[in-house]
Amino acid sequence: MWSNSSTRPIVDSFERCTDPVALNQWHPLSAVAELRRGVTYQTLLLGEPLGYGIDDAGEPVVWPAKALHLPAGSPLPATPPAGLPTQVSYGYLWTTLGDPQPLFAIPEADEPDRRVLNAATIGIATSAPRAVENFLDMGHFPFVHAGVLGAEPHTEVVDYRVDVVDGEVWATGCRFPQPKAAPGSSASAMTDYTYRVPHPYCTILYKSCPFDESRRDVIGLFLQPMGEEAVRANMLLCVVDPISTDTEIRRFQLGIFSQDKPILENQVPRRLPLSPIAETPIRADKSAIAYRRWLSEMGLTYGVIPAADGAA
Amino acid sequence: MNDEGIAAAPMLDAAFSWFPIASSEDLPFRHTYHTKLLGRELAVWRADDGYVNVWEDRCLHRGVRLSIGLNDGAELKCQYHGWRYASRSAGCTYIPAHPADAPARTICCTTFPVVERYGLVWSGEEPLGDVAQVALFGDEGLTLRPVPIHAPAALVAERLRSYRFRPNPTATGSSGECTVESGDERAVVVTARDGTAEMNVVFFVQPVDARTCVVRGLLVPRPVDDAVVGVLRHHNERMSTLRDEVEEAAAVMPPPPPMQPRVRAPAPVAEPTHTPADTRTAPLRVVVARKWATADGIAGFELESIGERLPAFQPGAHIDVHLPNGLVRQYSLTNGPGDVVRYRIGVKLEPDSRGGSKALHESIREGDVLAISEPRNNFPLRRDRATTILIAGGIGVTPLIAMAQALGHAQLDFRLHYFAQSPAHLAFPEVLDLLGERVVRHLGLGPTETGQRLQEILAERRPSSQVYVCGPGSMLGATRQMAAELGWPDDAVHFEYFKNTTVVDDSSAFDVELARSALHLRVPAGTTILEVLAEHGVIVASSCQQGACGTCLVSVLDGVPDHQDVYLNDAEKQRNDRMLVCVSRAKSPRLVLDV
Amino acid sequence: MIKLYDFELSVNCYKARLLMSLLDVAFELVPVDFYPGWEHKTEEFKRINPLGHIPVLDDDGFVLWDAHAILVYLATRYDTSRQWYPVDDPQLLGRTASWMLFAEGTTNTASAARLHVNLGYDFEIESVRAGAHRLFRYLDEHLWFTEREGRCWVCPGDHPTIADIALFPDVALAPEGGIDLLDYPALRRWCDRIKRLPRFVVMGGIFPASPGR
Ligand SMILES: [Fe+2]
Repeated sequence: MWSNSSTRPIVDSFERCTDPVALNQWHPLSAVAELRRGVTYQTLLLGEPLGYGIDDAGEPVVWPAKALHLPAGSPLPATPPAGLPTQVSYGYLWTTLGDPQPLFAIPEADEPDRRVLNAATIGIATSAPRAVENFLDMGHFPFVHAGVLGAEPHTEVVDYRVDVVDGEVWATGCRFPQPKAAPGSSASAMTDYTYRVPHPYCTILYKSCPFDESRRDVIGLFLQPMGEEAVRANMLLCVVDPISTDTEIRRFQLGIFSQDKPILENQVPRRLPLSPIAETPIRADKSAIAYRRWLSEMGLTYGVIPAADGAA
Repeated sequence: MNDEGIAAAPMLDAAFSWFPIASSEDLPFRHTYHTKLLGRELAVWRADDGYVNVWEDRCLHRGVRLSIGLNDGAELKCQYHGWRYASRSAGCTYIPAHPADAPARTICCTTFPVVERYGLVWSGEEPLGDVAQVALFGDEGLTLRPVPIHAPAALVAERLRSYRFRPNPTATGSSGECTVESGDERAVVVTARDGTAEMNVVFFVQPVDARTCVVRGLLVPRPVDDAVVGVLRHHNERMSTLRDEVEEAAAVMPPPPPMQPRVRAPAPVAEPTHTPADTRTAPLRVVVARKWATADGIAGFELESIGERLPAFQPGAHIDVHLPNGLVRQYSLTNGPGDVVRYRIGVKLEPDSRGGSKALHESIREGDVLAISEPRNNFPLRRDRATTILIAGGIGVTPLIAMAQALGHAQLDFRLHYFAQSPAHLAFPEVLDLLGERVVRHLGLGPTETGQRLQEILAERRPSSQVYVCGPGSMLGATRQMAAELGWPDDAVHFEYFKNTTVVDDSSAFDVELARSALHLRVPAGTTILEVLAEHGVIVASSCQQGACGTCLVSVLDGVPDHQDVYLNDAEKQRNDRMLVCVSRAKSPRLVLDV
Repeated sequence: MIKLYDFELSVNCYKARLLMSLLDVAFELVPVDFYPGWEHKTEEFKRINPLGHIPVLDDDGFVLWDAHAILVYLATRYDTSRQWYPVDDPQLLGRTASWMLFAEGTTNTASAARLHVNLGYDFEIESVRAGAHRLFRYLDEHLWFTEREGRCWVCPGDHPTIADIALFPDVALAPEGGIDLLDYPALRRWCDRIKRLPRFVVMGGIFPASPGR
């Protein structure tokens, strides 16, 4: 009865996706560590209701709910009908509704002294590309993450380099002065960043590690597109930090995340407009400009507003 | 009240009508109010000077709602990237990610007309005529508590005809005798009489979207002060009952189709709003609203727009003033943030004047009309430094006065050092007084003493501080040299004046041939291809005008472009087959464009 | 030193942090991995609070849970002006208690909707949203008349009380649960007034207000 009053309805069912680009991708469903074995969970992927879980042998199982509807919490079926492809990578259960290429690699995740953990999984009422674009953006640090990732009046975004390498968008040479770049940092520092977008709905950040100058912390943002305008955001941490507890590391990242969330939920429209004149890009937005063009060129339509002529 | 209570305006398309969108008290000091009209979200805020801004609820940069933004009394600041938009014009005044650049004039939020009357704020898409006239009682009414109702406006207006109330709620007894005096979809007048007491309620219905509206009531005449809260509660009770009934009725009706906000002129700017630097076009007509002697030999002018409101400006901006004798002179705006109704300039009478300052001093009078350019800013103020030292010599104080006010408003640390002959030579003393102790006056010094004083000022160099200097050439030279000797980095000392300071190198001059238009044009240094094309009537759509958005991409048929944009990637730049004509130029003497 | 077992994104923990900041009371945070670690459900945490929820306050060995109880304790113990919890004025105290109960309602509806959306908690989402709107509609009306009577806060009197602190986070974060505040302009103005209190602190999801007069 109240849905008419809300400018931000967060609905629980969505139009199913017909975009082959989005269908032919691997998508994350959940951090494996958060799943109890042998139990059915439910979710939505690209508007499609799914059942999923980890069986008693530790193997992931995913199936479309239209083939077998089980309430959440019921025992996991051994061999559900129309089971979907699965893989467990970086601590997450991934699946696909199409015929995807192999999932992108993060070689750092295999280094033995890295802490690899799921920092958070949070629902956000926005499209996956809006969330990716926010992740690539340094200009908002002093305003949205004041006192942590930036501080006024130090607001300048100095020039950096953007390239498309092997089908991925890379932004390199990014630098920003930060009061507290990581849970382990105490003093303000100029922090170096490299951003990478290997997947339309996934992005990875490499930033200066406060504990080891020669290495970089890796933070991944993997969006599960529940619908075009609703995602679950999974944050992977893959860091060199011998001191902080998991709780401290997660608290730091969750704090950052919780500051971005209301911004993302106040962006209009929620889908990312790909027309270069729909919004007002500035030089600081080079990486976002490249990301939007890259999405246009791959022909993605799910979670975006394509440019009128279909090209950037 | 009779039928004349509401002027019988013909029913217009909703897009051409005025609607109340807020009560005046919804806009308290430095608040940002959020509402919706006809399906469009609006950010509404009152500047400290009382002006009410009604804007489309989206920051132009990334679409974040401005209704969550910060109202600082003069500007609205977006929460996402700190972009600032000026009251009235809604023009962007500052982009913190690029503190050294003046934002393009094309970056301007969509604004809607506004009128404040009867304790209500009125707006509309493109309203025609005047707001509804509530006759007889003028402004003497009492605004009731606005009541949002989840039902279509037409249904609510219909139900309002059966609204009943007591003219004097403190008296016991019946509702008195109520009659509907007039009413249509937009407004309903209900009159209650009880013996000699008579009271009218005028209801206006704000269509929020297809399924929601807000009823805004106005009670006339205004009850005595002691009775006000009781009367307000009485009406709120009656309205709540009505709301519950209408909502119940609406809940079982088929939902109306959603309202699509009217599509307004989109962002791409097809006309050359960016005035070429060396074609002296003067798009604005202003009237001299005030002329006065602000100091010995310096006249102050306040220029008020005729018609359109004045465009936004940033500290450091100047305007071209076109004089009746054909001369064109540049003058810096001295206005602080929020002071946006009149441009204020200071003009020094130059003894060797060729007629510019002489004309302004001697011939121009209050009430005269002048042609001016839109403000341009070649001296942008960086606001990303902890401390700013402003050094003014004589009339050079004018841009620095604007900067000092902006820094003060933003609560950033600064000092304004003002060198002048005597107290009588200090321009705009009333502004200097407001700036208080942060103004340091250096009076009657000879060249040597001035040098010593400059040396002392510049010796106080701290990291994250910067210097802006404006004054006679000798002072600029001395400051530049001393600053270098004292170890100030180049990028912390700003001398530039009437000269482009962006990273774009526009020093080349070359020819362009337009294949499709069969034109051969010369692009001189300091002018962009886009501007030259516009001068010759060849319009290429452009938007950001800083080589970021890709709107002005054109194909290159021959020649080697000098790419200065960030839109094309390296490989595309190497292909040399396309370019952005807003910033990029030519390495070859000639370019052939497919235009 | 006061210890607060705390989770950054918890509305209830924020209520305690906010009041301690407003009262200028020094405290130390003990981060609890509420999510995704579910640390509050561990045997170890249940030795601190057998009910397994946060926040928990430990003031020099005195252990107390339930956000609203913590607000009562902190205001009574540390507010020397005796205005945040007005124990000297029976009527005002009664009003404060009444609004604290009302705040239980906003927590169980608005903040529950937020948990559903953010963390996938299993609530009847449309029903908790409708419940929040019913309460907000009443609160907005109350605050509108409060303004007309020249006052600023939920309870009568010219000083805010812990009822404002108990209600504020539920209201300010309601949009995260899909509960729009468009219909409640008086609530939005009251939020601004709270944000302008000296020593106000934000939490993720709450935007600062511009300085007032
Ligand atoms: Fe962020």
